[in-house]
Amino acid sequence: MKSAVKRVISMIPVLLGVMLLIFIMLRIVPGDPVTVLLGEHYSQETIDRLTAAMKLDRPLLEQFISYVLGVLKGDLGISYVSKRPVTMMILQALPYTVKLALMAAAFAWVIGLFAGIIAAVKENKIPDRIFMAFSLAGVSVPVFMSALLLQYIFAFRLKLFPITSDGSILSMLLPAIALGWNSAGSIARLTRSSLIEVMQADYIDTARAKGLKRRSVIFGHALKNSLLPVITMMAIQLSSMLSGAVITESVFGIPGIGRLATTSISNRDMPLLQGTILFTTVVIILGNLIADLLYSVLDPRIRSQM
Amino acid sequence: MNDNNRTSLAEIGEQYGPKEKLIRMCRQNRLAMVSAIVIVLIIVLAILAPVIAPYGEAQQDLLARLQPPSAKHWFGTDELGRDVLSRILYGARVSLVIGIIPSFLSLVGGILLGLLAGYCSGWIDYLIMRLADVMLSFPSLLLAMAIMYTLGRYANSIICLFAALSLVGWASVARVVRSQTLSLKETEYVEAARSIGVRGRRIMLRHILPNCIPSLIVLYTLNVPSCILAESTLSFLGIGVQPPAASWGLMVNQSKSFLFTMPWLAVFPCLAIMIVVLAFNFLGDGLRDVLDPYLENR
Amino acid sequence: MKIKAICGALFTAALTVMVSASAVMADDDKVLKVGWNKDIQTMDVHKTTDNYMVPLNIFDRLLEVQLNDDGSTELVNSIAKDYSISDDGLVYSFTLRDDVKFSDGTPLTAEDVEATFTRMFTLPESVQTDFTTCIKGAQDILDGKTDTLEGLHVTDDYHFEITLEEPFAGFLSVLATPTCCIMSKANLEDAGSDFGVDPAKTIGSGPYMVTDWVQNSSLEMVRNPYYWGEPASAAKVSVKVYPEASSMDMAFQNGDIDILDCDFLDTAIVDATYETPAYQDRIVRINRLGVYYYFLNEALEPMNDLKVRQAVQMAIDREGILNSIFGGNGVIVDGIYPAGAIGFTEDNQGWLKYDPEGAKALLKEAGYENGFDLEISSNSNASQNIKNILQVIQQNLQDVGINAHIENYDESSWIALRKSGEMPSFVGPWTLDYNDPSNVIDTFYGSAEATKGRSLNYPDTEVMARVNAARAIVDENERLAEYAALEKKIVEEDAAWVPLFSLQHRFVLSDNIEKFIPHWAGYGDFNCANVTMK
Repeated sequence: MKSAVKRVISMIPVLLGVMLLIFIMLRIVPGDPVTVLLGEHYSQETIDRLTAAMKLDRPLLEQFISYVLGVLKGDLGISYVSKRPVTMMILQALPYTVKLALMAAAFAWVIGLFAGIIAAVKENKIPDRIFMAFSLAGVSVPVFMSALLLQYIFAFRLKLFPITSDGSILSMLLPAIALGWNSAGSIARLTRSSLIEVMQADYIDTARAKGLKRRSVIFGHALKNSLLPVITMMAIQLSSMLSGAVITESVFGIPGIGRLATTSISNRDMPLLQGTILFTTVVIILGNLIADLLYSVLDPRIRSQM
Repeated sequence: MNDNNRTSLAEIGEQYGPKEKLIRMCRQNRLAMVSAIVIVLIIVLAILAPVIAPYGEAQQDLLARLQPPSAKHWFGTDELGRDVLSRILYGARVSLVIGIIPSFLSLVGGILLGLLAGYCSGWIDYLIMRLADVMLSFPSLLLAMAIMYTLGRYANSIICLFAALSLVGWASVARVVRSQTLSLKETEYVEAARSIGVRGRRIMLRHILPNCIPSLIVLYTLNVPSCILAESTLSFLGIGVQPPAASWGLMVNQSKSFLFTMPWLAVFPCLAIMIVVLAFNFLGDGLRDVLDPYLENR
Repeated sequence: MKIKAICGALFTAALTVMVSASAVMADDDKVLKVGWNKDIQTMDVHKTTDNYMVPLNIFDRLLEVQLNDDGSTELVNSIAKDYSISDDGLVYSFTLRDDVKFSDGTPLTAEDVEATFTRMFTLPESVQTDFTTCIKGAQDILDGKTDTLEGLHVTDDYHFEITLEEPFAGFLSVLATPTCCIMSKANLEDAGSDFGVDPAKTIGSGPYMVTDWVQNSSLEMVRNPYYWGEPASAAKVSVKVYPEASSMDMAFQNGDIDILDCDFLDTAIVDATYETPAYQDRIVRINRLGVYYYFLNEALEPMNDLKVRQAVQMAIDREGILNSIFGGNGVIVDGIYPAGAIGFTEDNQGWLKYDPEGAKALLKEAGYENGFDLEISSNSNASQNIKNILQVIQQNLQDVGINAHIENYDESSWIALRKSGEMPSFVGPWTLDYNDPSNVIDTFYGSAEATKGRSLNYPDTEVMARVNAARAIVDENERLAEYAALEKKIVEEDAAWVPLFSLQHRFVLSDNIEKFIPHWAGYGDFNCANVTMK
């Protein structure tokens, strides 16, 4: 457990680095947001007045320190454009993204595991080829393409689902599939290769030699051991889904974290972009941490090393 | 994550030389072979675009707008009456360059930093690896978007894409190189080299790097399609390549609302993206099976 | 453990927000469904220059522009019952209606008008000061010398006077713009920074009030129970955000939207899907009171040569652009003022023809037989339509031998470059804020600063002086004649403006809509009280 604590502590410099990097990246461009905010109507006078009102005329170091202090208190600043607290905007968007991510992950896990197991059991036979072709398609088709297609066929033509999502479970199904398909593909591939590898191991042969049925060998012995890397991958995928699905949310009109990021870019809303990136980064870091801890709990070899 | 549980290449598969490996791969994995041929073909087509394209990249004919595929325009025309086939051929240049160059840049950056970290250890290692952690913690699409946002005012969109995609990609390369360096450093021949007084830089470049090359080839091949997909995604959001340049992602972005009324506009560039991405993925998988079984699915 | 606890708290907080958002479901019968392509940024009109939909619906203006069935517009009284203007054109005396109430039931008085106008200038983030600085004392507030507005004098609850710095004939039109929405003094004081953000704390006297707003997703308005005028036809307005055009298109066809703004779709889609027998008679068209123009920077060689500029004017195939990119939905204009706007005159139309051969001849005369390099500056955040226009213009110029190339800039650098006066050439649209020629001509040719700030660098200071003097001409006919003469001088004689066209704005209505009167200037934003439901 000592090393788990060490692992958590090692996140602190990473987090600080993340904050510094985002800050530097987004503050090389002072003055920007004001001119964009004003659009066609502006005079130098108005620009100066707004720059001062947004505290953009302060020295960079002062801005950074007050930003870090704010973040420690959970205050991510005020959006330039909507003038609302960024923390509040993120909290409002979060439930939609959480819902979408959970559903997409569930889809990816179920389909991915299923396809991967079948493919491994029927290695190099027709079902294997079909499932692997599908999962490769999942990895190769751009997300916006699958999202637009699903929307057209199932929502517009067949009218089975609403075109855009209102947050209900039904309306989240299509976006979840669009988002999850990609991950399902990689889970299927990993499950397949890991299961095949384990099934070649000696103890499987032993089990078979003892006269156990093939099916019970697969589910009783092989699967348990081959799932380790898959579980880690699942945790990492979930955290990346929680960091917002920019395209899916845009196509299906879901007001989640991904939408916040796109609108903040098109509005040049730095505090909002900064807050969104920081938040999602923390989610990813936590996700990776959980994956590591899970791995060490599940895998006795690593547990003993830790 | 756990980068140390990988056995070094030196310990495995020494019975085959690189040439035999490639030949074995070609025999075993026809898909990878076909993919390699497809990739070469597309690169040739892209280079020859000015010669073989039936029309100019930006040649407009406002009287022949939005025409469906015909003998005159095989893939139809777009909203300014430009020939879609010609634009796809020219677009291949932009899209391939965006796949190939940032992957290369991130490869070079990753190799240098990874070698340095692995070989020097100590605080240099700590610094580089924490920086890699920082980069890997960012959601990659958001990071690319933020870089486009920051650099947008200083450079044109293609240069920005290079920067964004290579900044996103170097960290994972650095991790792989570092972990291999760490394990190779302990091998006998590196220690032997060191004991006869070979300098650090030479050891890194002459002894350690060549051993990383197989895994790097695989990483590179798999990184190219992800860069191409990332470009298409950024362009879909309107922050990628800017007109009048043509890239496949931009063509899809401009025609996404025509997807179902005038499908030829979006479908052909989309197919082009898919074919290239699939080909690189197949090739990468094939190379991995042969060159570096231990890089499996990372 | 701490991290877990914080996470837990975050999730609970977030879920609460979600639950309360979905709990609001009204019961009334007639619902008007509207689609936007992106969310509004704020409901506070002092902080935005383009999110006018909500302000148009929840606030009243002193005066209103009415769009008649024949397409003409007139200025009508709204919450101002009556007004008079002093002979010198400086003092405007208003009488307010005494039956106007805000949606919280409190009456609207002259105090509220005063508070509104004062806030316009004192609010640090205010972006609505351009047209109203003509009020006496406004500049002093902006300069930080005082925080009371000298030019606004409240006589009693329902009477007040506004004094101008100098006469300005377009001032009444300015009062009818969204800039001059009247807010509640008490509400502004109580709400503080929540004004414009929290629907419950953003109160107006207009026909509707906002009941719910979920960022990036939806907004709901219901009738204001205290509204002084005729109650609106739809009891509820439900707005949904559709970020992708194709989703909006499908949603309309599936009956999820009642008024489809064709600006959000590609023209070719509109033509293919809606300009068809099934939908054609449900399309509402309105002239957008705006113009597209192409600007050349006169400070740069060789655009400082009159013949070169004239050649460019003749080289551009405006008919072709209009027909291809906009499906022919608009008219070519040869001047500065939008077709149909006050100041637009047929006398200044029809002189400019597409003539590439003539353009080549002029270039030859000017000594540019072999052409020259010209950058067309493009804003990468601009609409697809503008990017397409640029590409056709590039082709047109290349056809007459000018080596034009498009250079892309990110939005802020594009604005900065233009403001520096060094942008070589660009295309832009201008849509009227208020229906008066001064709105366009002042913006571009009002001062040396203005013409530099748009990278025009028009050198004629005499013309600028005339532009300024025209504002104060009290006789209406005389004033319009002067504006027409200025237009002729700038466009036809000096070729300092390459005119393109004015467009139509199209909306498609669903079966649920009986009648829809768009905003008079052809904005996409409209007052929902102008919609009659079946």
